[in-house]
Amino acid sequence: MSFIEARGVEFSYSPEEEKVINGIDLKIEKGSYVAILGHNGCGKSTLAKLLCGIIMPSEGQILVDGLDTADETKSFDIRKKCGMVFQNPDNQLVASIVEEDVAFAPENLGLPREEIRKRVDLALQTVDMTSYSKHATYKLSGGQKQRIAIAGILAMSPECIIFDEATAMLDPTGRKEIVAAMKKLNREIGITVVTITHYMNEAVEADRIIVMNKGEIIADGTPSEIFSQVERLKSVSLAVPQVTELMYLLEQDGHKLPRGVLHAMDAADVLEAFIGGVDK
Amino acid sequence: MSYALELKNVSVIYGKDTPFETVALNDISTGFEQGKITGMIGHTGSGKSTLAALLNGLNKPTSGEILLFGESIWAKPKEMKKIRSRVGLVFQYPEYQLFDETVEADIAFGPKNIGLDEEEIKSRVRLAAEFCGLSEKELKKSPFELSGGQKRRAAIAGVLAMRPEILVLDEPAAGLDPKGKEEILSGLTEYKNTYGATLIIISHSMEDIAKYADSILVMKDGSVYMQGGVEEIFMQAERLFDAKLDLPQITKLFIELKKRGITQSTDVYTVGYAKKEIEKIINRA
Amino acid sequence: MLKDITFGQYYPGNSLLHRTDPRIKLLILVEYLVFVLIASTELAMAATLLFTAFIIAVSGVRFGILIKSVKPLIFVLIFTAVMNLFFTVGEGEPLVAWKFIKIYENGIRNAVLMLLRLLSLVLGTSVIISFTTSPLELTDAIESLLSPLKRIKVPVHEFAMMMSIALRFIPTLIEETNKIVSAQKARCADFESGNILKRIKALIPILIPLFVSAVRRAEELADAMECRCYHGGEGRTKLNVRKTSAGDIVFLVAVTVFAVSVFFLDTVSWSEVTEFCRGIFSK
Repeated sequence: MSFIEARGVEFSYSPEEEKVINGIDLKIEKGSYVAILGHNGCGKSTLAKLLCGIIMPSEGQILVDGLDTADETKSFDIRKKCGMVFQNPDNQLVASIVEEDVAFAPENLGLPREEIRKRVDLALQTVDMTSYSKHATYKLSGGQKQRIAIAGILAMSPECIIFDEATAMLDPTGRKEIVAAMKKLNREIGITVVTITHYMNEAVEADRIIVMNKGEIIADGTPSEIFSQVERLKSVSLAVPQVTELMYLLEQDGHKLPRGVLHAMDAADVLEAFIGGVDK
Repeated sequence: MSYALELKNVSVIYGKDTPFETVALNDISTGFEQGKITGMIGHTGSGKSTLAALLNGLNKPTSGEILLFGESIWAKPKEMKKIRSRVGLVFQYPEYQLFDETVEADIAFGPKNIGLDEEEIKSRVRLAAEFCGLSEKELKKSPFELSGGQKRRAAIAGVLAMRPEILVLDEPAAGLDPKGKEEILSGLTEYKNTYGATLIIISHSMEDIAKYADSILVMKDGSVYMQGGVEEIFMQAERLFDAKLDLPQITKLFIELKKRGITQSTDVYTVGYAKKEIEKIINRA
Repeated sequence: MLKDITFGQYYPGNSLLHRTDPRIKLLILVEYLVFVLIASTELAMAATLLFTAFIIAVSGVRFGILIKSVKPLIFVLIFTAVMNLFFTVGEGEPLVAWKFIKIYENGIRNAVLMLLRLLSLVLGTSVIISFTTSPLELTDAIESLLSPLKRIKVPVHEFAMMMSIALRFIPTLIEETNKIVSAQKARCADFESGNILKRIKALIPILIPLFVSAVRRAEELADAMECRCYHGGEGRTKLNVRKTSAGDIVFLVAVTVFAVSVFFLDTVSWSEVTEFCRGIFSK
């Protein structure tokens, strides 16, 4: 059974308004690393909120580990299983001191003190912020604040974390820190990671990319499958990595090059082989 | 050479002569050529934003001079308003500055403060909105009804409407999707071409800098680390890495290809140019 | 400027005061405030000052930081002292009599006393609470001390939570205000000239964005809190539960004894002391 399953989900903020989510069927497997890609206003953030039960679908059904998000008696259990990291690092830290903030969720769960301490220490260690445990949250950099936010969710011991444009307000250094943390959570701890983004180079890191436009899923596949459809992505106001575009343009001109090359190193290999081939 | 805006030995020191003394900017001398786009890059805390807030007289340097067409901007402190209308400054995430009932009124805030007459304000607002891609319908809306990208454009239009000769923008496209980014940056280029304005764009995106800027100013630890044409700067990959900066992906590809002896060019930083270079190599082979 | 105000500014450390149970510190603070306010004789004041010096010494807060916290209040301190100096009408001949200004011996005494009293109040409160207690510790302590009120349905937990969130957001909102002011200044806004009405009107472009952003922050924070399973105070546990140690109790008792002695010292005047000493020596 998939961890998250959406069946015919539709959503609008009020009955008169246009639908923001327009019939989505989706399955996210346990332990997978999924990027949801789309331009601003395509409904991807709304989908994120639906998936972890902050808002309920107007039509259709969403199951998180078999629990219906519309069932209010289950909402507490759903939140425990599926956490969310938001875009603005300043607006999700509750406490003034790092460890007090990380402890917020386990405190709400009513865990015994020793258990909270253990979880806080482990969570801070996972995001590499142990030495900051007594620091004031507002003095940290954007990337550090976001790592604390991740630790705050980790301390709930969730099975899945949804990142709602968690890197959008960070500088390149901060962005790298967070992407590294996502990878670590998924690959080393086995947490299901869903990241909502419009940064191509972040989506490339995932195992699977879902492309959204106007509240619908328009493509779903591995990064190289998705990024080989350059025209399609451009038509929904998305860009592709520069080397991917280069390969695509060369291929359009009749050179026999593979599509969906994502990294500079891979592109160098491909081009070296190709030019060597032409030489002979 | 004469510059539109020139800095002479500018330093900013916080808490001078106290134990907490920190040097934010250290003896900066540089100039910005009229009608050109300069990309300002540097890691967080390198002093880019501190520098930006000096250029329109929002903050005063501890020492040194800032010259606007040869005249110190601090020569007549009482006329600071005038300086601020001539050197426009758009902060990071400027949409938080929106406050008025309609987008139109909000864009008119700057021109009104300078004391222009109704007619002039109206025409400037229209033009500024046009450069930023805002329609007549959007002008009548409340700024709080707009989408994120539209809010950003409205805020930038609010500064453009003062018709500054020099425009300093701190990450104007941060957080926007590729299309939104493209629209804003090309609108700004159009404004520059129309009025012969000088643009200084702070950005973390090497790809954007490569695409839009004429020259680059690299900041590191409160000093000017490198300055020159786009080509000249991107050729020195190692030095950029030292300043904790990155290169456009396509430039990285060409550095790798050069290492492997496939190409000699290192001045490749846009996809279009890269394609031509690769085709040349293929044809030669 | 705004950032210099030390309200809610905690300096992490491991001094005696940092380690003391915040609830005990609140009780100590109450006692401290009482004896600072009643001390009216030289002896009582001297004892109070001694205690203030002791408290500062065991707080481990750097002197420079303390000076900075007093700086914004210098005007108030001097103003109060001067008022006391000029407006105290004493017995006997005035020391200085120039036109309408008459300064009595009593006036000097009152001025010095008032100055020391206010200074002690500010310094003592800062080191006992502000500098050595994190906002969350403080709100927890208040919640704990007020918890008996829960029985009569006073929402003590909610009140404490609101307070700690408010404290958490003060630096964020100050930064935001500075940003908005700069952005509007860059659009040639003028906050410094014109009459009062014009100046108040000039604040609109600052207040509206600030309000809009505060509402947005509140909404996002509410979502984030819900995502972290917040559901009110019921069944909630705490990471840092302060257990009142024997040391804390000793500290409180010592301060109580001290407070009572100050109370008695206050009934003894300086002349009585000198009289008493003379008595001993003449024997």
